[in-house]
Amino acid sequence: MTARLAAILCAAVLGLSAATVARAAELKIGMSQFPSSFNPHFDAAVAKSYALQMTQRPITAYDQDWELICLLCIEIPTLENGQAKLETLSDGGQGIAVTYRLQPEATWGDGTPVTSADMVFTWEAGRHPKSGFGNFEIFRRMLAVDVIDEKTFTLHVDRVDFTYSAAPFELLPAHLERAVFEVDPAAYRNRSTYETDTTNPGLAFGPYRIVEVVPGSRIVLVPNPTWWGTPPAFERITLLVIENTAALEANLLSGAIDMIAGELGVTIDQALAFEKRHGDRFNIVYKPGLIYEHVDLNSANPILTDKRVRHALIHGLDREALNRTLFGGKQPVAQTSVSPLDWVYDPDVPSYDFDPERAKALLEEAGWIPGAGGMRQNASGERLTLELMTTAGNRSRELVSQVLQSQWRELGIDARIRNEPARVFFGETLNKRKFTGAAMYAWVSSPENVPRTTLYSDQIPTAENNWAGQNYSGLANAEMDAVIDAIDIELDRGKRKALWSRLQHLYAEELQIIPLYWRASSFILPKWLKGVRPTGHQNSTTLWVEDWYAEGR
Amino acid sequence: MNGERRYEGAATAEPSRTLRGLLWRRFLEHRVAVSSLVALVALALLALAAPVVETALGLDATRVDLLAVKLPPSAAHPLGTDELGRDLLLRLLYGGQISLLVGLTAALGAALIGTAIGLLAGYYGGASDALLMRLTDGVIALPILPLLIVLAAVDLSKLGLPDSLVTSENASLYRIVGLIALVGWTTVARLVRGATLAIKAREFVRAAEALGASHARIMLVHILPNVVSPVIVATTLSIGNIILLESVLSFLGLGIQPPVPSWGNMLTNAQELIWDAPVLAVYPGLLIFVTVIAFNFLGDGLQDALDPRAIKA
Amino acid sequence: MIRYITQRLTESVIVLFVMSFIIYALIGLMPGDPVDLMISANPRATAEDAARLRALYGLDRPIGERYLAWLGAALQGDLGYSRLNSRPVLEVLWPRLGNTVALMGVSFVLAIMLALPCGIVAALRPRTATDTSINLIAFAGISVPPFWLAILLIILFAVVLGWLPAGGMPPSGAGLGAQAAYLALPVATLTIVTVGGIVRFVRAAMIEALRQDYVRTAWAKGLGERQVVLGHVLRNAMIPVVTILALNFGALFSGALITETMFGYLGMGKTIYDAILGNDFNLALVGLLLATATTLLANLAADLCYTWLDPRITYK
Repeated sequence: MTARLAAILCAAVLGLSAATVARAAELKIGMSQFPSSFNPHFDAAVAKSYALQMTQRPITAYDQDWELICLLCIEIPTLENGQAKLETLSDGGQGIAVTYRLQPEATWGDGTPVTSADMVFTWEAGRHPKSGFGNFEIFRRMLAVDVIDEKTFTLHVDRVDFTYSAAPFELLPAHLERAVFEVDPAAYRNRSTYETDTTNPGLAFGPYRIVEVVPGSRIVLVPNPTWWGTPPAFERITLLVIENTAALEANLLSGAIDMIAGELGVTIDQALAFEKRHGDRFNIVYKPGLIYEHVDLNSANPILTDKRVRHALIHGLDREALNRTLFGGKQPVAQTSVSPLDWVYDPDVPSYDFDPERAKALLEEAGWIPGAGGMRQNASGERLTLELMTTAGNRSRELVSQVLQSQWRELGIDARIRNEPARVFFGETLNKRKFTGAAMYAWVSSPENVPRTTLYSDQIPTAENNWAGQNYSGLANAEMDAVIDAIDIELDRGKRKALWSRLQHLYAEELQIIPLYWRASSFILPKWLKGVRPTGHQNSTTLWVEDWYAEGR
Repeated sequence: MNGERRYEGAATAEPSRTLRGLLWRRFLEHRVAVSSLVALVALALLALAAPVVETALGLDATRVDLLAVKLPPSAAHPLGTDELGRDLLLRLLYGGQISLLVGLTAALGAALIGTAIGLLAGYYGGASDALLMRLTDGVIALPILPLLIVLAAVDLSKLGLPDSLVTSENASLYRIVGLIALVGWTTVARLVRGATLAIKAREFVRAAEALGASHARIMLVHILPNVVSPVIVATTLSIGNIILLESVLSFLGLGIQPPVPSWGNMLTNAQELIWDAPVLAVYPGLLIFVTVIAFNFLGDGLQDALDPRAIKA
Repeated sequence: MIRYITQRLTESVIVLFVMSFIIYALIGLMPGDPVDLMISANPRATAEDAARLRALYGLDRPIGERYLAWLGAALQGDLGYSRLNSRPVLEVLWPRLGNTVALMGVSFVLAIMLALPCGIVAALRPRTATDTSINLIAFAGISVPPFWLAILLIILFAVVLGWLPAGGMPPSGAGLGAQAAYLALPVATLTIVTVGGIVRFVRAAMIEALRQDYVRTAWAKGLGERQVVLGHVLRNAMIPVVTILALNFGALFSGALITETMFGYLGMGKTIYDAILGNDFNLALVGLLLATATTLLANLAADLCYTWLDPRITYK
C-alpha cells in the first residue's frame, strides 16, 4: 500500500516537474498600439521595438542595471582593452577606431550568417542622403567601415566622446535588403522586406521570429531555430493590439491575454485601480523609467526671468502629494533631469520642498504683492499671470496641470491652462516656442544621455536657425554650455561623474525647468510568468525575452 | 417635391390672435412637449444658478483637492467628487451652461445661415436656386463627423487669424459654435426654401411686387415673417443634434478643452473610470440624453401645434 | 434615364474633385507635420535629421504644388503610402472599408427590420398607448449620445456581466460565434442609434400615405386593413423613407466612426480618425474621399430606387 502510494506520488511529482520545466505552450501579450512599420531604422516607437526586440538585437545596449553590454558582439570595445584606438583624422581632428567582433553563431533565420557585410550595408544605407533613416547622424559620423573578417569590423568615427563603445543600432540583413535598397533608396522605407514580407525568416536572428501579422491587430512569433542563446520557453507568443485600455483590462481578466506589456499598456492610475481589485491574481510591477515629466519655463517671458519667481513656483508645488494621491507613490519626484537610477546621479543636489510660505515670501521679494481678487501684481499694476500648456487628451497630464494651476493660484499667481492636442503641441507650439509661460511634457532619454539638445544655448529654436534644436525653455547659461562640452569628451569616469554633478547642481539652481516626476511603467503579469525584468529605460523587456519562463502554470 | 407639398398648408396661416390661441392650446395638449419645456427651463435655470449653488455649498468649482478624489455623495458634496476632487454637481451645472450655450448659439447661427440661403434660393429661383440647392445637397451628402474632425483639427493661426483670438480661453468655444453652424444649416435651408416658394405665389406678395417693392423688402417684410414657424420648429429640432455633435467633438478632445467643463469632455476619460467610479461616466451622458430628448419632444410638440399636417422627419 | 445617371455621376465626380482640394488644403492647415512627430519620439534625433527628413518627404514645398503633385499621381493610380502603416493607402483602406460596410450593413438591416414593423404599427394605431410608447422609444434612440451608449453597453455586458468582449477585432480563424461576439456590441450601439430615426420616418410616411384619397377609396371598397396596407400604402410610403435612408447614409457613417473608435473596431471611420490625429495626410485624404464617394453613390442609388418605387416620377 505504502509502496503504491509512494510510486503514485513519485509519478505525480515527476509529472508535475516535467510539466513545469517543459516548454509552455503560448504567451499572449496585450499592448495598446500596433507598430506603424517594421523596419528598425524608421519611426522609432515603443510598439515596434517591443515586437522587434524579440527577433533581433542591436549590437550593444544598456541592460537592466544600466550597464552597457554586448548583445550581438562578443566584447565591448574600450581603449583599455585595445579594441578601440584613438586616431587623427585627415583634417587634424581626433577620431576613434572601434572594433567589434560579432557573435560567431549569429545567423539569420534563413540560414545566412550575420556578417560584417550586414554592417557595411547598414552603414551605406544609413548615411545615404535619400534613405531617411531615423538616426542618420550616427552613420554619418562613421567615416569608414573596415571589414577585418566575416565577423569582425572596425568603425572609424569622426569624433571622440564617452559613448564611443556603444553601437546601439540594429544590423539589416544585407542579403535581403541590399537589392531592394539599390533599386530606389528614396523608396526603401516602404519597399523594405520588413514591410513587404514581414514574416520572412531571414529578417530575424533572435530567439523568436515573426510568422503572422494581421495589420492593426496581431503579431505572432515562434522560436527561431538559428538562435544561439538560451532556448526560448514559449512555443508561441502572440502580441494582441487592443487600443482601448478598458478593453485591455477586460481581456486580461477573461484570459484572452495573459499579460499587459508595461512599455505600452495601461496608465499608472489604471494599474493602481486594477491592483486594488485584482491584485491577488496578478503580479503588478511598477518601474519608474527614463520618462522625465517636467515644466519648461519660457526664458523669453519677463516674469520668469527673475530666479526668485521660478523658485517660488517650485516651492508652491506639493509634488510629493501629487505623486502619492494621483500615482499611488509610484512615480518618484524628480530633482533634475538625471534619473536616480543613473550612475551619475548626484543625491546632494538642492531639492525644493513644498513650502508655500517661502514661495509667497519669494514672490513678495520679487515685487509681486497681493492685489485685487487675491492675485498678485507688481508696482506697475500688472497681474502675475502665467499660462500653463500641456497636451490635451492625456488624462494624467490634464489632471496634473489642474493641480498645478490650483496650487499656484493659492500663491496668488493667476495661472491659466491652455491645452492642445499632441500633434499641435509638439508639432508647432513647443518647437516654435509659442508657449508664453509654462509648458508641461516629458522627455524620453537613455542612460547617461547628454542633454545637449535641450540645455545648450545654441540649441534654442529660432526663426533664423530654422527652428532647430530642442532647448524649448531657452536656457542660456555659459557654464552649462561649458560643462556639457566637457562631459561629452571626458573619458575618465571619475572626472565625468564630477562634471555631471556640476551639471545637476546648475540645473537645480537655475531652475529654468521645473522637474516634476519620473513616469513609471506598470507591468501586469500573471503569477506564473517569471524572468521579466523591466529596464527603466527605453530598451524593452523583450530584449531578454529568452529569459522569460512559466512556472507552476 | 415633398418639401413644397408639405408646407403649403402652414404657409397660408397668417398670424392672428385667435390663431395664436389655437396654436398655444394645441401645444398644451401635447403633454410630453410641455413637460419637456418645463424640464428644459428647469435645467437652464439650474445651470445658470451654478454660481449660487457654488456659494451655497461653500465650494469652488475649479479647486482641485487631491485628498478628496472620487468620493461618494455626502453632505459636503451632494453628488460626490470627480477624479481631481472637484465637486461633481457643480461641474455638471457649469458643464450644462457651456453645453446649452453652445447648443443654442450654434443652432441660432445655423438657423440664420439656413434662412438666408433658403430665402434667396426660393425667392430668386432659377440658376441661383439650383446652385444653392446643389450646395445644400452637397453638404447634406458629406460624412459630417469626419469632416468636423478635420475642421476641428485645423490650426487656426495658420489661417491668419490674430494670435490673441487663437490663444484666448474661449477659442475652443468660438470654434465649435462656428463649425457646427457651418454644417447644421441644411434642414432649415430646405424648409425655408419650400415655404418661400409657396408664399411667393401668394397674392399679397404679387401685390407687393406690382407696387414696386424692392427684393429685399419683399423678402424681409412679406416672406420672412411667414416662414418663421417652420424655422422655429426646424431650429428646435436641430438643437438636439447640435448638442450631440458638440458633445461628440468634446468627447474626442476636439471641442471644448478642459479645464472648461462640458458634458462631452467630462466623459472623455470615462472609459478608464468605469471600473473605478462608474458614476462619473454615467451622469454627464445622462444629462446630455435628457436634454436632447427634451429638445426633440419640444420640437415635435411645436411641429404638432404649428403644422399638424407636416410629415414629421 | 441614362442621361440622368450620367449627369448625376458627372456631378458627383466634380464634387469629389472639389472635396479633394478642400480636404487637401484643410489637412495642410493642420499644425505640425509628420516629421515633428517622428522626431519627438526619438531622443537621439537631431535638428539636421529633422530638416533632412522634411526635405525628403517634400514637406517644404508650397501647398498648391503639393496638391497638383498628389492629384497627378492619384489619377495614375498611385495614392501614396500611409505613414502610420507603411503600406500603400488603398491596401490599408480596402479591408477597413469592408469592415465598416459589414458593421453598417448589419446594423442597417437590423434597424430596418426593427423599424419597419414598429413604424407601421404605430401609424396604424395613432395616439394609442402602442403609438406613444413606440414614439418614446424612437425618440430615445435618436437622442442618446452614441459614445455614452457604447460606454454603458461596455459596462453592462463586458464589465458587469462579462458576456461579451469590451472591444477589438476577433482573432483570425475564429469561428462564427467568436466573430459574432466581437461584433455584437458595436452593432447593438449603431443599431440603437439608427433605429429611432427610421421608426419616425416610417411612421410619418405611413401616416401621410394613409391620408391619401386612394386609401379611403380602398376602405370604402371594403378591403381589409392588411390588403390596404400591403397593397397600396406601403409602396408609396417607402418613397420618402428611401430618400431619408439615403440621406442618412452620411449620418450612419459618422455613427460608425464613433462606434468603431469606442470599440477599437478596425473600420474606415476609426482609420480616418486615427489618420487625422496622427497626421497621416495621405491616409486621411484618401479615406475622407472614399467616405464622400460612398455617400454620394448611396444618394444616387437612392434616387434610382425612388424612380423605381414611384412610377409617377421621371427624370428629364
